[in-house]
Amino acid sequence: MKSAVVIGAGISGMSCAIDLARAGVRVMLISPFSSERSQSVMAAGGINAVLPGAENENGDSVASHMEDTIKGGSYLGGKKAVKGLCENAGEIIRYLEGIGTVFSLDGEGKPDKRAFGGQSYKRTFYCGASTGKQIVTAMIMEVRRYEATGLIDHRLWMYFHSALIEDSVCHGVLLFNEITGKLEAVLSDAVVMATGGQNRLFGKTTGSTQCDGYAVSKLFTQGAELKNLEFIQYHPTSIETTQKKMLISEAVRGEGGRLFYEENGKRVYFMEDKYGPRGNLMTRDVVSREMDAAKRDIFLDISFLGKEEIERRIPEVRDLCLKYRGLDISRESIPVSPAVHFFMGGLAVHLNHETCIRNLFAVGECASMYHGANRLGGNSLLAAVYSGKVAAKEIAERKSENKTMDYSTVLERESRKLDELRNNKSSFPVAYMRDMIANTMNEKLGIVRNKESLEKGIEDMDYYLSAAEKISYDKSVLMYENYSITGLIILAKAIIISANERKESRGSHFRSDYPETDENSAYATIISYDEGRYKLRQDREHFYED
Amino acid sequence: MRIKILRQQSPSTEPYWETFRVDDIPKDMTVAGLLEHINYNDDIADENGRKTTRIGWECSCLQGSCGACAMVINDIPALACETFIRDIKKDVITIRPLRKFPVVHDLMVDRSGIYENLKKMNMYIGEYHPAKEKDPEKKQKAHDLQYDIAKCLKCGLCLEVCPNYVNGSSFFGAVFANDCYLVSSRNDSKEKAVLKTYDKHFASTCSKSFSCMDVCPVKIRTITAMAEMNRK
Repeated sequence: MKSAVVIGAGISGMSCAIDLARAGVRVMLISPFSSERSQSVMAAGGINAVLPGAENENGDSVASHMEDTIKGGSYLGGKKAVKGLCENAGEIIRYLEGIGTVFSLDGEGKPDKRAFGGQSYKRTFYCGASTGKQIVTAMIMEVRRYEATGLIDHRLWMYFHSALIEDSVCHGVLLFNEITGKLEAVLSDAVVMATGGQNRLFGKTTGSTQCDGYAVSKLFTQGAELKNLEFIQYHPTSIETTQKKMLISEAVRGEGGRLFYEENGKRVYFMEDKYGPRGNLMTRDVVSREMDAAKRDIFLDISFLGKEEIERRIPEVRDLCLKYRGLDISRESIPVSPAVHFFMGGLAVHLNHETCIRNLFAVGECASMYHGANRLGGNSLLAAVYSGKVAAKEIAERKSENKTMDYSTVLERESRKLDELRNNKSSFPVAYMRDMIANTMNEKLGIVRNKESLEKGIEDMDYYLSAAEKISYDKSVLMYENYSITGLIILAKAIIISANERKESRGSHFRSDYPETDENSAYATIISYDEGRYKLRQDREHFYED
Repeated sequence: MRIKILRQQSPSTEPYWETFRVDDIPKDMTVAGLLEHINYNDDIADENGRKTTRIGWECSCLQGSCGACAMVINDIPALACETFIRDIKKDVITIRPLRKFPVVHDLMVDRSGIYENLKKMNMYIGEYHPAKEKDPEKKQKAHDLQYDIAKCLKCGLCLEVCPNYVNGSSFFGAVFANDCYLVSSRNDSKEKAVLKTYDKHFASTCSKSFSCMDVCPVKIRTITAMAEMNRK
């Protein structure tokens, strides 16, 4: 193919854009703000890999990485997909090193590794406590290299509006330009979505306020299928501040951090008591549920590491606690609680990262592929880079379609709808609606769910949908905030419907009314949308993977 | 507490001051939290009860990692998400957008000029190919400096405070100088070309006030990067 539009300029979007440009494909890279503002910069911990030639070093192997990933995902992650991810992980570390990523180094000057939760071996490469940021910086430079040649055109202040789809083939996108206040149509051979997770549906999470799931929802209403939406990862260790829940990196537990609560003046190391010496490093779903079940204030202690080692190994965590809570972690324990952190579900994609709509691809967190029912720490950065590369390879090797699309009618119709929205005089503000969605999502779709709360959640969303048509246009927020609201409710409803449908507990999805894992429920939940109707099906045949 | 904000509806309209009143602000709240608090109301009113619009500002991570919410708070360029009410000793908080960049809406500015200059100067690493360094101590120091510089948020605070930076037409500021060090130290084959552009667009004009270092949210040691560049 000759041209592609990539929506989203975090790690997965940049990874795809860079490889496309390397192959000579012209790329328009779209993001409202620069890559420094992407959620990728917040990924602190690391990136998992077994390096080529390092197989069986200390007993580790690609097979073990695969096994941990599939086991961590409660056996829902596709085996073929995970095989590709883990087999290529070592090369990805080499690639990132090659483009100048500043990895933390071991005594021999090679990229260093640390232990991470849910993994049998120490295989998480890292850059201090800002791995995502360091990778973003290296990738921005690489994008710049191709911007200089004209192969990448990075456009800022542009928001995704909708895809241009005809007969289940994607021909391009409609974008909203916040500077001109107008919709613009862009035709391209392929479109790649790299828009991240759905954090904003939950209000204050560990992630970016920019990731809201609108793009995924819009494509859902345009015919794209979504998968495994019920699997939402709670990170066990976040610290509450007045403006958000801030992540305390898994690196703290990787470095020996111990979770405890106090009872009768004594510390109870509940994870170690139940799961043994490595209990603090159990998978995130297990730790989050144990913390939730404890019904007490939980603390994380790393003070025993000492001031110097804390400064050397986790300075960012030290700074964050000091700044936002006035807490000196070399002397005091950190008060922690679970927070919404990652979305395993998203756009259903085939092995080549194409959705069910031809020439429409999805990569990174907005796509559902590798992590099954739960994601291992250190696998998200890996999947972000890898998925971008897989999609780029497919697009670069594929022939362009001969047919194009006359978008004039669609552009005119959608522009008219935006004008109508501008003239809406209702008094129901859009900001209010976003908070109502978040309240329902947090209350009805928490760490522990049940039929009653989920059904109430669906009712709430139906009410919000009826009210969404009456929202007032708020000219003091971006136009995007106004036109995206209905999409957010539709997606929120699809998530709750998916969670209600899965009548078992698996990975990050835990139901008090179905607390056991049902061996017969090892399927992917696929949901589609048809004129207001939500259709569910259980995929047991690994349709997307094969 | 009174909060005085310099507002501007769009790039083509005139700026104007508007003052809000918020009482009982928690001391551990940041300016970002305060802006969110003002905006979270059905009806937004100024201190005289006159209805007004929500305040436009940019945010993403809300924890000092992305640089989106850079603005000028009581005359100090800073990130709103890292400026705590407890540290503000005055009764009035004055907030205005960064003035070295075109205003898009209220406190949102267009910082694309930073990227345009880096792009024009081919400021990318290309292939990792550092110069050979045998001394482990020097090697570690260089690595640490590179790590710190790669954390640059491109927030623009260093340019806002810089006495030499005007609009980025010829002098590109600390944000550029730091990337010059990062690129030339990660790929020594680019050293010569980078040095040339570093001299032209930074070293020849910098008056060494180092105010850039005072306001940098990630505490980049520009002075060290400059010393290393001078040694090259």
